[in-house]
Amino acid sequence: MSRHEIRLRRKRITARGRERFRNYDAVLKSHEETQRLKKIMKVFTLFTIILILVMLIIMVFRWEKRMTYIPAKENFEITFGTKQV
Amino acid sequence: MTDDEIRKEQEIIERSKKDARAFGELYEKYFDRIFNYIYRQTDDEELSGDLCSQTFINALNNLNRYEFRGVPFSAWIYKIAGNEVNKHYRKNKGKKIFSIEELTIKELVERGDEGWDEELINKLLDFMKDLPIDMLQVLELRFFEDKDFKEIAFILDITESGAKMRTYRALDKLRKNFNIKVKYDE
Repeated sequence: MSRHEIRLRRKRITARGRERFRNYDAVLKSHEETQRLKKIMKVFTLFTIILILVMLIIMVFRWEKRMTYIPAKENFEITFGTKQV
Repeated sequence: MTDDEIRKEQEIIERSKKDARAFGELYEKYFDRIFNYIYRQTDDEELSGDLCSQTFINALNNLNRYEFRGVPFSAWIYKIAGNEVNKHYRKNKGKKIFSIEELTIKELVERGDEGWDEELINKLLDFMKDLPIDMLQVLELRFFEDKDFKEIAFILDITESGAKMRTYRALDKLRKNFNIKVKYDE
């Protein structure tokens, strides 16, 4: 069984038939809407990237701060008892 | 298409990249051809209208990415239209339709003295039903849209020699099965 169908048209589509669909204003409107959405997406993506970067910077600062506040370890002097004879 | 016409079109495209309203000129120029191209592959006016609008919307949305690659701008639009039609069939999982005008067949195919009758047209349609889709696509662009092989190759994403081979194979089959001569026969 073939995957396509061949149909025979007895009449040509008229110019009037096509005219119903000719509407450049609608195409332009749709394009402008798409451009607007693209802009919004761009701003949102940029905002998200900046937010992630700021969060990373904050995390790094906090980590650094925590590292500097760790109390210095006491030096234990291990003295071995001397064997008294 | 002459070099001058191509240059003029390029100027409109460059203007359209800055101001989408300028694209209207190209829309008016190619609307009928693209509509017919889609209509021949759908046999549905409403659907063709929708896919045609979507084609021009996509073209306008991606105009910044368009570069002249040795084929006229119309080939780029045909490519987008073809993709839209394929997308529609993939989505709806229906049988691909090729609707052909009786008058166009009679204009394209010369029957010599024998003339056309209903039976012969039906035989020709049956024959076309058995042709692979890729051959039909090439035949459609070559004989119904008057595209040269370079443009066909660009539209269908195949090589120029591939487009020629498909056309000649299909024509050979036609000649073998029917006593006909196709217009523009090389």
